[in-house]
Amino acid sequence: MQLAVNILVLTAIYALIACGYVLIYRVSRVLNLAHGELMMLSAYLLLWTASLFAGHPLVAIAAALGLSALVGALVYLFLLRKLTGEMALAAVLTTVALGVLLRGATVLVWSAQQQYPAQPLGASNSTLALPGGARISVWAALLVATTLVVYAGLFAFLRLGRWGMRMRAAGQNPLLAAQRGINLHAIYALAWSLSTLTGALAGILMALDSGLSQTMAIIGLKAFPAALVGGLDSLAGALLGALMVAATEVMLIHYVDPLLSEVVPFLLLIVVLMLRPWGLFGTREELDRV
Amino acid sequence: MSRRARASGYFRSSYGEDLTLLPTRLERWAAVGLLVALLGLPLVASPFLIDLTAQVFLAVIGALALMLLTGYAGQVSLGHAGLLAAGAFTVGILFKEFKAPFFLTLPAAAAVGALLGVVFGLPSLRVRGLYLAVSTLALNFLIAYLGGEYETRRGFSTGIVVDPPSLAGHSLTNPKAWYLVLLAAAVLTLLLSANLLRARSGRAWAAIRANETVAETLGIGVASYKLLAFVLSSALTAVAGALFAYWRGFVSVEAFSLFLSIQYVAMIIIGGMGSLAGAILGAVFVTLFPYAIEAGLSTLARGTAYAGVLFAVNAAAFGAVMIAFLLLEPQGLIGLWRRLATYFLLWPFRHRPLGGARR
Amino acid sequence: MLSRTKIVALTLGLLAPPAAAQDAYTIGLTGALTGPPASTYAPAADALRLYVDGVNATGGIGGKKINLILQDDAAEPGKATANAKKLLGQDNVILLLNASLSSTFPPVVAEAKRAGVPVLFASSVCPKEVYPPADALQFCSTAFASTYDSRATLGFIKETAKEPVKIGFAAMAIPLSRAEMDFAEQQAPGLGMTVVGKEVIPPPTPDYTPFATKLKDAGANWVFSWAPWVTQVRTLEALRRLDWKGNYIAWAHIEAEGELARLKDGSFYVIGANALFQDQLPIHKEIAEAAKKAKLTYPVEQLTEGWIAGMVVEAALKAAGWPATPEKVAAALSTLKVDTKGLRGGPIEWTKDNHFRTQQYYRVYRWDPAKGSIVQVKDWTVFGVKSP
Repeated sequence: MQLAVNILVLTAIYALIACGYVLIYRVSRVLNLAHGELMMLSAYLLLWTASLFAGHPLVAIAAALGLSALVGALVYLFLLRKLTGEMALAAVLTTVALGVLLRGATVLVWSAQQQYPAQPLGASNSTLALPGGARISVWAALLVATTLVVYAGLFAFLRLGRWGMRMRAAGQNPLLAAQRGINLHAIYALAWSLSTLTGALAGILMALDSGLSQTMAIIGLKAFPAALVGGLDSLAGALLGALMVAATEVMLIHYVDPLLSEVVPFLLLIVVLMLRPWGLFGTREELDRV
Repeated sequence: MSRRARASGYFRSSYGEDLTLLPTRLERWAAVGLLVALLGLPLVASPFLIDLTAQVFLAVIGALALMLLTGYAGQVSLGHAGLLAAGAFTVGILFKEFKAPFFLTLPAAAAVGALLGVVFGLPSLRVRGLYLAVSTLALNFLIAYLGGEYETRRGFSTGIVVDPPSLAGHSLTNPKAWYLVLLAAAVLTLLLSANLLRARSGRAWAAIRANETVAETLGIGVASYKLLAFVLSSALTAVAGALFAYWRGFVSVEAFSLFLSIQYVAMIIIGGMGSLAGAILGAVFVTLFPYAIEAGLSTLARGTAYAGVLFAVNAAAFGAVMIAFLLLEPQGLIGLWRRLATYFLLWPFRHRPLGGARR
Repeated sequence: MLSRTKIVALTLGLLAPPAAAQDAYTIGLTGALTGPPASTYAPAADALRLYVDGVNATGGIGGKKINLILQDDAAEPGKATANAKKLLGQDNVILLLNASLSSTFPPVVAEAKRAGVPVLFASSVCPKEVYPPADALQFCSTAFASTYDSRATLGFIKETAKEPVKIGFAAMAIPLSRAEMDFAEQQAPGLGMTVVGKEVIPPPTPDYTPFATKLKDAGANWVFSWAPWVTQVRTLEALRRLDWKGNYIAWAHIEAEGELARLKDGSFYVIGANALFQDQLPIHKEIAEAAKKAKLTYPVEQLTEGWIAGMVVEAALKAAGWPATPEKVAAALSTLKVDTKGLRGGPIEWTKDNHFRTQQYYRVYRWDPAKGSIVQVKDWTVFGVKSP
């Protein structure tokens, strides 16, 4: 039973991170390789807001989330927007460079040491008992709940909301959408903002659960196979991909060799891509540009 | 094959002339001058500088290989560090287990590289663009896992020490000798790459990069040329990794991180995609950049006071420079160079005339 | 368009050699001052500089100052080698210090050997070449030591455990930590303990719970972890989240003192060779004052390792006399005896054959929830370091 809980928690982590990748890719066909670093930045921002609003944990968390959404929009407006028209690889590499920059900048401002945002917030990490003798920490449970809420919200927004429909339109055919009068730059900025917000949720909850350090950026990269296996432009795919990758990892750790848990998700990815090059639920597309 | 404007008097009247590497007399003299300067450097430079230049040569080999794959054939690869590690570990393992000499280990490293190139090139036949980039990431993690396993199981927890290559009792330990060996290797790689590009393979890659579907219809075997790009590039990189192992005398899994892959990608971007000279410039820039930052910081302020934030500044500055190049000068250093050369050539005019003396 | 080409900002950097003070002892350090492991090694380098500045402020050694040159290698073997070449070839240091990951050791040692300059490992793990029979040019003042640490820890567990020990191990997926846990796994049955599990955890793991689950399900009542602090502490936290009630013992890295106070876990023991600051010895006050005056950014508890290195360096240079050469420094180091003033359990003594120390002292601390502070569980235990 504990095994199932572990898989559930890891799935939630990967799914929450993966939906950030999917959002941006689906809407603007850009792969945001700085997602892990942006996630980490949001968690560091929480440290800052926690010291600003000491004693008001909810306000601090809300402020950190708001700041992260703003950062996402700014990244698009000042960085990615200038690359409109350039080849897709340039945009990807810009995000890689942004990631490197953020890593250096966070160390400059906050030092390389381990941080525990839960402390200044005065939040403790107790555990809940579950049926079957399993246990889960409060923050991890919150993370699972958040993932469900986020996904439900995104599904509803994309399907029913007006801006959601515009985002889907911009993703399917940017030219037609622009002709229709949809402000593409605003849509893309919104997508980046939402993506950074979901990443911030993941980063903050993970930091509150187990601490914050530079390795969080690499965890963002580990969620990659999850996003790709399901198809980079499919939210449902991201959920399924996260489940597959998390299940594989936890099973390997438990029954085989924990070290394989780093490699096998990528090998799984390669296998899936060989069978279905656009992921399990991805849409076939013109990937000739590089 | 330069794309910048040339002074008048430059004509080609045969295909042979079109394909020469150094068409004009100025270029030939410049190349000779550069070679002489590089050969003479060890005589006047400090050991530190010689070591640094040797590092640059090694980086040049890797950058050229990656340029062939990504810049020319258009196949994105983020697994470069994995290939370097594969070459280095081949040398380490063969040396530790079988005491194999260098003339066996170097070809073995190339073979291992080629094999990995096939394995990780196969996805490129089905998968393209960004999906391909991510599957090459797997290469990094796979080699790191295998290398770590070997180190642990065989008890080399701090890494594998490799003896310098020796032939008939003479070991290659003199740093100046190593400098010359690595210079020769870099020049050879440059010649090899230039020849590959001048031949059929180069044109096939250019076609594949422009538009795969059209290339296929033109009768170019897209699959085989893609695999060829992967195989050649990977073999070259593995040999670079093997040379690195011999030069350092040491192999360990920590030296080949994901950041190293990113550095190589940065080299070809900063240098300018689609240009061999760009690969070289990029390699020089990225290798020397941290030292430049260090020198700059230590002259600006009490150097040791900022020692703790040096890497952070380095990383931040590196990311910032990469972004600056991508935003402002997508053609990289070679683009800058071409613009500079064109400016001086055309001065006092600013633009090339419309008809006539084009290229 | 063209104005951009005028803004060509390519600085190859004039690599001007630093002004080498002629009338001073010149020593150099290559360390992971930045990079992922920096939080372990940078404080030591800073503490060393603090100590050297203190010595120089009181006139130096016999009127001659110590010129300490710090170089960062970001834990990369390539950079470390370049640093070594510069320090040895350009700056002509008479003593080379290494405060970086073990992967930087072989190339740095090779360079030093070529130049005939001794190498002191300060805050970096002691290589086996410093154990007897020791290599002539390698010395180590670092607290932690492979195999001895496990022996001491297992010994402590055996005497403290009130019931049969079912022990689990947690290592980080780096060769050094794995090798140590493998060694401990071998030794444990000989002490009457049952080994129930050994987890090897890759560094960038989002969730340590699966690994903790295995240890808990295997029924471990003691868990020993010898790894970088991150792995040690996250495994403990994951175990506690699973409501595991056993005892956890880990190596006291420099972060230990601060973390004991944060975790407030009564069954969490740390074993180390350095005295914690909460003992408030006179030497601790001295370090704290110096750090405050220099406005160091690192917490004062993290400076012990570097301070001890400073003591070793000062004693060696004093014994070497003036003018000092690498040979004299190496000779001085081979017969060194340094009083650590309580920072360690006893003096650091080196002989021709033993460049680690003749006696290794261990202390065990834990947090006492009743008292609300860190308490010493076991005072200095001595291990004689013998030739194999």
